[in-house]
Formats: sequence, C-alpha cells, structure tokens
Amino acid sequence: MRKLYIGRILYNIGKFALRVIVLSVLVFTISRLAPGDPLYAYYGERVEKMSVAQQEQARERLGLRKPLFTQYARWLQGAFHGDFGISYQYKTDVKEVIAARIGNTLILGGLGFLLIFVLALLLGLFCAWREDRAADRIICRIGTVTSCVPEFWLALLLLLVFAVWLDWLPGSGAYSIGKEGDVADRAVHLVLPLTVVVLGHLWYYAFQVRNRLLEEVRADYVLLARMKGLSGKQVLYRHCLRGALPSYLSMMAVALPHILGGTYVVETVFSYPGIGTLAYESARYQDYNLLMVVSLLTGTMVIFCNMLAGIISGRIDPRMRIHSLTGGGEVRGC
Amino acid sequence: MDLLEVENLSVSFYRPEGEIEALKKVSFSLREGEILAVMGETGCGKSVLCKSILKLLPDIAKIKTGHIIVRGEEITDYTERQMRELRGSFFSMVFQNPMTALNPCMSVGEQIAEAVRLRQPGLSGKERQQRVAELMHLVGLDHPGERARQYPYQLSGGMAQRCVIAIALAAQPSVLFADEATTALDVTVQAQILDLFLELREKTGMSIVLVTHNPGVAARAADRVALMKNGELTGIGDVEEIFEEIIHRQNFI
Repeated sequence: MRKLYIGRILYNIGKFALRVIVLSVLVFTISRLAPGDPLYAYYGERVEKMSVAQQEQARERLGLRKPLFTQYARWLQGAFHGDFGISYQYKTDVKEVIAARIGNTLILGGLGFLLIFVLALLLGLFCAWREDRAADRIICRIGTVTSCVPEFWLALLLLLVFAVWLDWLPGSGAYSIGKEGDVADRAVHLVLPLTVVVLGHLWYYAFQVRNRLLEEVRADYVLLARMKGLSGKQVLYRHCLRGALPSYLSMMAVALPHILGGTYVVETVFSYPGIGTLAYESARYQDYNLLMVVSLLTGTMVIFCNMLAGIISGRIDPRMRIHSLTGGGEVRGC
Repeated sequence: MDLLEVENLSVSFYRPEGEIEALKKVSFSLREGEILAVMGETGCGKSVLCKSILKLLPDIAKIKTGHIIVRGEEITDYTERQMRELRGSFFSMVFQNPMTALNPCMSVGEQIAEAVRLRQPGLSGKERQQRVAELMHLVGLDHPGERARQYPYQLSGGMAQRCVIAIALAAQPSVLFADEATTALDVTVQAQILDLFLELREKTGMSIVLVTHNPGVAARAADRVALMKNGELTGIGDVEEIFEEIIHRQNFI
C-alpha cells in the first residue's frame, strides 16, 4: 500500500514535468511564429534608423539568428540553471521584472479568486435552495446584468463614484507613495479593483453551481434521501453538493489562472502594477523571454490546478478514481 | 381502525397548457400487516398515488380534494415539517431503479447509517454501526462490514435494491411503499426481492403497498389487489376475487 502511494506520487510528478516541457515547446514555437520584430522591443523607434547590417548584428547578439531548435535548447539549458534571459523591453533580468510585480497580482487575483470561489458556492447553494422563488429570481436577474457589464465600464463607474465624487477610496496604484509596507493602506487601495474582479466573474460561476445543483436535485436519490426524513435543505448540502463539487472544482481549477491573469483591464484602469499588463505587452512587442516566463507561470498553474482538482474529485466521487474500475474499493487515488 | 385510509383523493398537475387530472376520487384503505398490490398500466397514476400520500410531489401538483388519514388522524394538511417526521418513521419507500436511488458519491454503509442516525439520534458510533450491520443482515446482505464500505457502482442491481430496502427499514416503518421495486431487476432477483418482502412482513408486521404493472408479482405476493386506470381506482378486493373478475371481464390490463 505504502509502495503504491509513493509510486503514484512519482508518476504524477513525472506527468506534471512532461506537460510543462511540452507547454514550453509550444509557447516557444508559437511566439516565434507570430509576425513582428523583437528588435522593436529592444530598441524602440531607433530600429528604423539602423542600417541592415546593424540590425543583423543586433539579432546576432540577442541570439535570434540561430535555428529555432538551438534557440530552444539554449533557453532550456539556461532555465534549468535559473536563467530565463533578459527582457528586451526592460533590458534587465526577466526574473526581476516579474518579481517586482507578481506580488501585487497574486494579492489582487488570489484574493479575488478566493472570494469568487467561496461566494459563488454560497450564492449557488442559496439560489438552488430557493429555486424559482422570489429571492432566486431577483439574484438571477441582478447576476445576469452584472456579468454582462464590461469590466472597464464598471471600473470607470466605480472610480467616478467612489474615488472622484465621494472621494472615499483611492483610485489608482497599489499603495500610497512611501507606505509600501502599510497593510491598511494596501487594503484600501485593493477595494475597488477587487470589487471589479469579483463582480466580473462571480455570477458566471455561481450560475454554474446553481444549475449543477438543480440537476442533482432532480436525481432519484434525492427522493430516497427525503424519505429518510431529511429536509430539502439538508438533502441539498449533504447529498447534492457532494455530486456537484467535482465539476465545480475542475471548473475553478481552470478559472484560477483565468482570474489571476485576467486582471489586465482592471490593472490598466486602476494603474495597478501587476503582471496582467506585462503579459499583454510582452506578446505585443515580441519580448520573447518575458512572454515565455509569464505564459509558463500561468500554464503551470493550469496544469497543477487541474491535477489537484482531479485528485480532490477522486476523493469526493469514487467513480472518478482512475484505477477504481479494475481494483474494487481498495485502491485510493493519491 | 385501519392503518391508512384514503378518501376521495383527487390530485391535479397544473401546467402552462392546463390542468392534468392525475388522480380522480381515489378511495381505499390499508390494513395492519397486509400487502396491497396497486396494479395498472404505465401512467395510470400508481406512482402519483404513493407520492401524494407521502407529499413528495413536485410543486406544480396539488391535492384538490380528499382526505388522507393515518391511524385515525387526518394528515392531508400536514406541513412539510410534520410530514418529515412521518416520513422518517411511519412511511418508507423503495424505488424502481436502485442504481439511481442511491447516492453515487456515498458508500452504502454511510447512507444506511444516515437513516439510522435520523431515526435514533442517541446512538453512539459503535451502536450505529451495529444497527447498520443488523439492517444489512435483515435484508440478506452478506459480509456487512465489507459491503458497508462499498459504493453503489460496485454493487449489482439486486444488492443495491437490498441496500435501498435496508435504508427504508431503518425507519422501522409501519407502511412501506414499493414503487415498481422489482421492475428494473432480472427475473430471479425479482423473485428473491419479493420473497424478502414477504419475509420482512412476517418479521416486522409492517404493511406493504406493492405498486406494479406485473400481474405475476401481484398474484405471488399480495393479499389484496387494487386496480387503477386513467387515474381512477376501478376495483379493489382479494387476489383471487380480482383475478377471477379480470378473466371474467376479459379486459386484461
């Protein structure tokens, strides 16, 4: 049993590594196939004043004239030693560029994700419980409206009302100048961006939870559970929730990088220094090294969260354990 | 006094297209310890009859007229809370498809234990496990300890139905509704489950309402038979009486 457990862990780690490497090959190839000239990222407008020979020289220096395979091999070699190259645009180590901003994004996106995760579940449960009654209908209407409002518009509106007219909350940045370590100051700066992130995504996921639960509520086993003497609410969270959770988890596993990395609009409107802007700019200006790391960060997160969701789902619903079809009840997913 | 009396029960479904009368003035009574077969073709209102007595109908269905009387007490206007009390103790029900009636995400032991806990909240964990094993033994499931850890998808249809029956029995009901409880099973298993019902009646003295469209099932297990057609109860009587009449009338269902 113990041996089996370690074997499964090693197997999963191997699978994880393989997926990350395949992903890096894909991102590497696709970014280089896209049209555009990376020299613009490095030299900006000055490229136009350079002679062809100078341009070729610059390419040679950045290692862009070698065959694609050699370029990838060199990148991979560097990556294994923790060297991800320099950003063409910022002309410093990619790690430094990202390190300066990733904390901000993790705070905004991470908090947003946690809030969405919990609130969507609660809201979905509540709506499923009150199916088609007044409360459910009102929430459904409001939810549809909020999820249809474009993020930038909502962001601008909130900015106008709370930062300009009422002047209750700060409208830009992640912290006031000189107060970098002040938690309260950071929290105040987070309120508006966080509201936009949560409102933009919340209803979509809550609605999925609601619908998944309503599917479960119509299942036969609900009648048997009610025959035991359970109330509708008890059946909902003791029985139906268990059936709906695996699909919610796998959905949220994909949603995590989506919410974390999808903060671009919010970051722009609130001048919030995060990696959302970086991701966009690096793709726009062929900043290959930066693009690689940003994409790999999000991609690794998707892969990791999917595996995690698979494992948790297997614990909730035994039919989802990979080996349970042949092994009877004894084999557990790890 | 009869255990359960139903008088002039009419139930309608209110749909956007209009009213659909599912039950029309149905009256019958159930005696202590008897097995009553409710027989009729698909869609004649057999299941609706059971579910209206248990108040498990969807919101669009309403009881229009009639009385449901349990041991002399009228329960037609019982609230959901009162019904819950009754469902967990007086009534129980077994369903047509045992594979979908069990929650796929819970081990069968857990599901039986849940019913036991609702009925006897004072039991310790160990006593509850004992009671679960007892119930599983009662419905003829071998190796209760091992079986309890299994999930529904690991059981055969017959075993799953025995688990459902164990859950129903946890409430120590006076009336068990078996809604097509043998229909989804193959013939030999059908016979075993019917024998189990007869055996359980002997042991516990409960009454069973056996809903079926299979005359063989009714003839084998029932004391009395009620015939239904188009939402109406067209006849009720002892097994021999009813079958003779059916043959006589030549309108076999």
